[in-house]
Amino acid sequence: MMKKLKVMALLALTAAVLQPHLAAADERLQVIREKWTPGTPMLTEFLTLYPCHSEELPCGQLPPPEVQKVSFKGALQGDAKRGEKIALDVRWGNCIACHSLPGHTGGTVGPSLADYASRAPSLDYTYQRIWDTRVFNPDAHMPLFGTNSVLTEDEILDVMVFIHQH
Amino acid sequence: MQRFNQSVINPAEFVAALLIAGSVTHASATDIAETTQHDYWPGRDKTIPHVSGDTNFSDTYQDWKDAAAIAAARAAGKASHEVNFKDFRWLVKSLDAELVIDEGREVFHRQNANGQSCASCHGENGEKLKGAYANLPKFNERLGRVVVGPSQIEVCASERLGQQDWRVDTRANSVLDMYVASLSDGHVVDIDVGTDGPLKTAYLKGRDLFFKRTGQFHYACASCHTPPTVGNYLRGQRPTTFFGDASQYPIYHFPYALPGDDLAHVFTLQHQIRSCQQLSRMHQGTEGSPSMTAIEVFLKASANGYPMSIPTQQYNLDTDYLEQ
Repeated sequence: MMKKLKVMALLALTAAVLQPHLAAADERLQVIREKWTPGTPMLTEFLTLYPCHSEELPCGQLPPPEVQKVSFKGALQGDAKRGEKIALDVRWGNCIACHSLPGHTGGTVGPSLADYASRAPSLDYTYQRIWDTRVFNPDAHMPLFGTNSVLTEDEILDVMVFIHQH
Repeated sequence: MQRFNQSVINPAEFVAALLIAGSVTHASATDIAETTQHDYWPGRDKTIPHVSGDTNFSDTYQDWKDAAAIAAARAAGKASHEVNFKDFRWLVKSLDAELVIDEGREVFHRQNANGQSCASCHGENGEKLKGAYANLPKFNERLGRVVVGPSQIEVCASERLGQQDWRVDTRANSVLDMYVASLSDGHVVDIDVGTDGPLKTAYLKGRDLFFKRTGQFHYACASCHTPPTVGNYLRGQRPTTFFGDASQYPIYHFPYALPGDDLAHVFTLQHQIRSCQQLSRMHQGTEGSPSMTAIEVFLKASANGYPMSIPTQQYNLDTDYLEQ
């Protein structure tokens, strides 16, 4: 167990050195997750961390978040059941609002992902799509799940396992 | 809208090409570099301050520009999502809202210690306010700023009646807003944002804010309220364009409650903007603040030429569309 933790810590450190923007996003994510539980309304105190409409608050002057390019390394592992829950929960991933998913009919704003596995998309593509969709389409509707600290990396992987399964 | 099409480009190759291009030279990745970070959702330059501006965004205006058009579209068998979901938005009057309007009328005639009420200046049953709401928000010269309905009520009540607790987002304020708006039922919305001045400035500011990407989800108001999202299903919700709808605000019986609001069933346009901000994880603005006022000016001017309809049954009770 300890050995596994050490390896994970080393990996995180390496990631932080190689991709500092990911480390910054990670820090904000930790701050949010200490107080916010997925499945509950987002706490309003965190929303001033992002650009806003206000004229009086500093968030009104924030530039849009920098585009983050990510790549996927290794094999895809995760919890499909949890991924399904994340994808269906209106206050967690809420993929269902815009997409149909394997086994679930959903919104029609985004393309149906019901047969996503059969399209055999690359893991790199799927991961980048979820993390920061602007790499493919700057005007895409999809939230920046990774860049804007909406989901954790674990959660994104679980969702990927869920939509990649046949 | 350009959509990444998997059947045309292999995504893996595309990503690899990006990475290589990015690491070798910026030149071959110019498209990406220039377009990956947009401050604004597309379409800002296509807006005009008139309800017919909808034709620049959807091809549905002819199906809902008036009651006859809506009836004709329905008779032709067009489903709600084919007519921008506008068909049920203003035809059906809300009977329940009459209770709220009655309460608003009572507040309007409620006398303070000196025997003064709103009616003292504005006439019995708001006679002198008929049609006024169709021109709100407007520039208040004495205050030197543009005000929305609830802000005007707050100022009037506190300065002239000494009612310090009729602030925006209170029960008294919301029911008064509903009552005063109901006096303009049928009047055509006309917000003059064409003439140089504070209203035009507010309109342009509001337009920019409406298209600005914000919040944790990186959405703009326009993300949901322009095609291709309009006409599609957002789970149980049916987003529509921003044209025309402001003529029905404040509305009654919206299915979402705001935290801390003691009268969840009256939704002023300011409430509505806050509700949208909350749902899309944006910072909720302060009602009546300059930015929130600017957004309301933009929305209301986008209903120019459309008749006010107060109160409407905004929450669609006609579920026929589900079977189509």
